[in-house]
Amino acid sequence: MDDELLELQRQFEFAQQAKSSIRLSERNVVELVQKLQELHIIDFDLLHTVSGKEYITPEQLRNEMVAEIKKLGRVSLIDLADATGVDLYHVEKQAQQVIKDHPEMMLIQGEIMSESYWDSIAEEVNERLQECSQIALTELAAQLNVGLELIASMLEPRLGTMVKGRLEGGQLYTPAYVARVGAMVRGAARGITVPTNLSLLWSLLQQLLQEMDGTSSVVTEGAFFQSLFNGLVKESEILGSLRAGIHWTPAVFAIAQKESVDSFFSQNSFISYDVLQKLGIPQPIQFLQSRYPEGIPLDTTFVHPSMIEMLDAATEDALEHGSWSDALSLLPSSFTPQDASKMLTFCQSVQSALKSNQAHIFGDFYVLSNSFMKGICEHLVKEMETLGVSGSSGIKMFSDSLVANVGKIGQDLIRSNESNETALDGSAIKHVDRGSKKKKGKASGNMVANVSDSAAEIPEQTSTKSKRSQRRGKETFSSQLSDSKIGSRKESLKVKEDSLSSPSDEWIMQKIMTLVPDFEEQCLDDPETILRPLANHLRPTIMASWMEKKKAMFTENSERMKSLLDNLQKKLDESFLNMQLYEKALELFEDDQSTSVVLHRHLLRTVAAPMVDMLLRILDEHNKLKNGLEVEEASNSELLTLSPGDRAAISKSFPGALGKKALDVIEALEGKRVETFMDAFREVAEESGLSLKKLDKKLERTLLHSYRKELTSQISFETDPISLLAKVVSLLYVQVYHKALQAPGRAISVAISQLKDKLDESSFKILTDYQSATVTLLALLAAATGDEEDCSSDRILSKRELLESQMPSLKSLVLSSSQSS
Amino acid sequence: MEGWDPNTKSTLTQIPLLTTKAGPRDGAAWTLRLKEEYKALIAYTQMNKSNDNDWFRISAANPEGTRWTGKCWYVYNLLKYEFDLQFDIPITYPSTAPELELPQLDGKTQKMYRGGKICLTVHFKPLWAKNCPRFGIAHALCLGLAPWLAAEVPILVDSGMIKHKDDATTSTES
Repeated sequence: MDDELLELQRQFEFAQQAKSSIRLSERNVVELVQKLQELHIIDFDLLHTVSGKEYITPEQLRNEMVAEIKKLGRVSLIDLADATGVDLYHVEKQAQQVIKDHPEMMLIQGEIMSESYWDSIAEEVNERLQECSQIALTELAAQLNVGLELIASMLEPRLGTMVKGRLEGGQLYTPAYVARVGAMVRGAARGITVPTNLSLLWSLLQQLLQEMDGTSSVVTEGAFFQSLFNGLVKESEILGSLRAGIHWTPAVFAIAQKESVDSFFSQNSFISYDVLQKLGIPQPIQFLQSRYPEGIPLDTTFVHPSMIEMLDAATEDALEHGSWSDALSLLPSSFTPQDASKMLTFCQSVQSALKSNQAHIFGDFYVLSNSFMKGICEHLVKEMETLGVSGSSGIKMFSDSLVANVGKIGQDLIRSNESNETALDGSAIKHVDRGSKKKKGKASGNMVANVSDSAAEIPEQTSTKSKRSQRRGKETFSSQLSDSKIGSRKESLKVKEDSLSSPSDEWIMQKIMTLVPDFEEQCLDDPETILRPLANHLRPTIMASWMEKKKAMFTENSERMKSLLDNLQKKLDESFLNMQLYEKALELFEDDQSTSVVLHRHLLRTVAAPMVDMLLRILDEHNKLKNGLEVEEASNSELLTLSPGDRAAISKSFPGALGKKALDVIEALEGKRVETFMDAFREVAEESGLSLKKLDKKLERTLLHSYRKELTSQISFETDPISLLAKVVSLLYVQVYHKALQAPGRAISVAISQLKDKLDESSFKILTDYQSATVTLLALLAAATGDEEDCSSDRILSKRELLESQMPSLKSLVLSSSQSS
Repeated sequence: MEGWDPNTKSTLTQIPLLTTKAGPRDGAAWTLRLKEEYKALIAYTQMNKSNDNDWFRISAANPEGTRWTGKCWYVYNLLKYEFDLQFDIPITYPSTAPELELPQLDGKTQKMYRGGKICLTVHFKPLWAKNCPRFGIAHALCLGLAPWLAAEVPILVDSGMIKHKDDATTSTES
């Protein structure tokens, strides 16, 4: 048994004897602590860690938290909860306490920060600022993960001490940088001479800065420039005025602007807002009113009172002289009509005249005196009267051109009446163009060619015409009208009344234009401005006076019409009977073709033509009278022979069937057969309501008797040997054939030869001799050159003497026979 | 080492392992072996004490250290049940594990051989053979007796086969 073993035995024994350590389970401990709290042996709050294995007192927790905060400077509560192993709820609660106890700490958005932390941050920022010369606060805030306001409020008290720089609009700048940018701003501001939007300038400067700084993408805020700029303005380092914060108007520009406005206004005593706007004054009226309180603002222009005085004087003058004035033309060309009208409202004379009804304003700026308008009115009424005569022809004449003008022809009557009016206007224009009313006839002559065309092209027109003729017919000879047409006639009558009695505005406008040519110049571009309103204004007056006149005329005319028609009837009876008488004589020469033709033609020329002329004239006159127009009476007495053209023109002026038949007559007049003429003539007379007497035996005898008597007396007093022959032959015919012969000189010999059987030898001999002598005389006369020394004159003289010597024998031949018969 | 609860396992690994392979007849080698046994037992005992888990007392009953006697106990329902413990070191030790005897419980349970030798689990023998000669008496106690007590004592107590000494006295008294 060695010692070691014994020792081990002893040790083992000892180990087994040793007291075993006593251990408590966690559960027991928790129960024990609870027991202690129940027994109030522990009388303070006990917190436990998240793991549940530890108890901690609030004081200890606070201590740990403070230690943590002091260590890190800035700790979030969540981190604190982790670090202390205590629930966040308790940490938050204790954090309040900690902040209360430690004024240098602050709890911001779940984070506790100490002043020392901010100090260190400020130092850091300063370092960076000195490096970069500027830092955006937003950048810092993002970096530090705190609010912009917070960092600003933290940095502000440290500015100038820990942070050497300047805070401007969320940016930190170093003084050097500020100075540099300030210099840039000053330079730019001083360089500007025109009003500029500052933000534009700032963006330019920004670009410049970025270029200079190169890659460092520093965004300088416009507000920074602005504040620098404001500082400069305040220190009056730059001169000018700032409007709405961003519109910079340099003093230089303002001065130039004012000077320019002043000079223009003082020179012209007006200035248009456009000019001001071009000069960059956005609110011209306010600007001008503040500068020139005595000025008057118009729609587009600002005027000095002197301008108004001038206009006032001019207008007053025009009004006093019974004339008119165009305010616009008196003013400079930049004035608009609105301006002019507005200015007129400032003119005292105009206003007083308007009030007292002495003047009217048309088209905004035309001032017309009352007397002037009265003048126009009278003129127009007169014009209408004269136009009424030519009116009916005018309608026809210009209906053709109207097709082109109007473009299309309405299907209804009203439309056609409108056209009539237009045509009326057209005629008026034409007459005006030709300068005088005298040429009307000629004008209408030129237009004749158009008539047939227009009649064909515009059925509407023709229908109106025919209806008109019907109406006329109704008035004069209602018996001749067929009952079936009454309905339509009534309608057309009404329409016609309208179209005739109301001159259109256009017509009045045209008339005014001719009366006052000045208007024409002014209204070339826009006739609406004055003529239309003026016409509208005048129309009722014109209408009234026109209607009155027309009424008066109508009563007057009706009597004249009656006498005219009576007169015509009388004259027509007479001449037509004569005509018939002469026609009978032609029967004698039926077998001799050539002579017959000559005789026919002669009869038409000599007797029928004046008759037709007379008929046409009187019908024309009657026509005019019926339309209520004044007719000069002069033409009645001196019946001039009309040319074929004149006749045609007059006939064209006749309405409807009458015109057509009149044309037939004229055609027949040009022909060779008296019979055809007679037929046509009878038709015309019938159409115009005249009755033609037929030649009966008794009438024929009396006529022939008077004719013979006349011839006898004429022959007895006749001294001219040449004309005597014709008369003697005529008388002989009356005596022998009881026919009235109208023979031209060429037919005389034939006529004489016809008498051969009827006369005795001697008397026939006298006749033939006389005739041959006359022929030779006439031949000589025709051959005579008019030269006195020529021998032919002697011969003529001798022949004449011979004839004269034979005259008594010839006279006696007839006179004796007439006495005998 | 499956078959034992984790507590037992962790305890077992902390018991120092033996190195000498010697039986009681090996003379000096046995002494060496015995020394190592003591060291292991000391460590195990200290470990138990420090864990407040002391559960046996043994000592060598002869100077050669081939017979050991002592006591072991188990606490159940706050009552300590104590039994006599004895065992011999077999000649073929350490290849053969010592047979632990609880003579007081002889005939009271089926998990026991004649003479109070406890029946060990099927896992014990292979494990012992595998760890020969590193396992010693301490290991046999830890692996064999401790689990056996933990398993059998509550059954025996509940079935009334064994009674606490206080109860036994009171019951006898009454």
